[in-house]
Amino acid sequence: MKKQMPYSTPDGYFEGLQNRLAEIPARRSRINFMPYLALAASFALAALAGNYILMKSTASQPASDEEIVEYLIDSGMTLAQLEDAVYDY
Amino acid sequence: MPEQERFFNDLVRQYSEPLYWHVRAMVGSHEDTDDLLQEIFIKAWNALPRFRGDSDPFTWLWRIATNETISFLRKARVRAALTFSTIDSQAERISDPSPYFDGDKALRALRKAIATLPDKQRLVFTMRYYEELSYEQISEITGTSVGALKTSYHIAYEKVKEFLKTND
Repeated sequence: MKKQMPYSTPDGYFEGLQNRLAEIPARRSRINFMPYLALAASFALAALAGNYILMKSTASQPASDEEIVEYLIDSGMTLAQLEDAVYDY
Repeated sequence: MPEQERFFNDLVRQYSEPLYWHVRAMVGSHEDTDDLLQEIFIKAWNALPRFRGDSDPFTWLWRIATNETISFLRKARVRAALTFSTIDSQAERISDPSPYFDGDKALRALRKAIATLPDKQRLVFTMRYYEELSYEQISEITGTSVGALKTSYHIAYEKVKEFLKTND
């Protein structure tokens, strides 16, 4: 069996490789987390705004008794539980 | 330049070429080797703060490279299974990565034989055969006992011999 590795590389490959690899520390330190933080902050802001709008719209229009009963029926409560709920309400 | 960066650049200068051949002997293709080297040195840079000065940089770097290469080969095998590629076509890809293949018919056959070995046997075989590392060095890199490595190399050697005999 021959011991020689039968491969070659493009001309000047190893010089180019060393240069590319030597750039790794600079490239890695340039990675900043600002875009990710900005994205997370915008999601949080959107969630807060949505929550605020929802709270405001439901608070300004109080649900009627019928709406509450309909909601309770739709939620799958038993008649006994429903009667108790209406009675308590 | 910070101390860590200087040390990293020394590693690149000293080891990038031998490490290229270490990986290339396992994966065959120049393009795959090039991609893997980037990954290996990024891993090395990230792990550098945990590198103990008393360890041998060669062993440390070769361990990272070996793990990355084995992981790459596993993924390649899964991809091949998902796309219904045959083992033969995988071996062909490893042994015949044109345009950067310079070997004659015998060398091509040898590469094909090596490509049919299971990953760990291929690893031991290439480290012994091409890189001429001692069993002790391979043991430090792979974390496998010297006895197990000797057995593995012997089995791999016999398989390669058998492959070459039957495909002559």
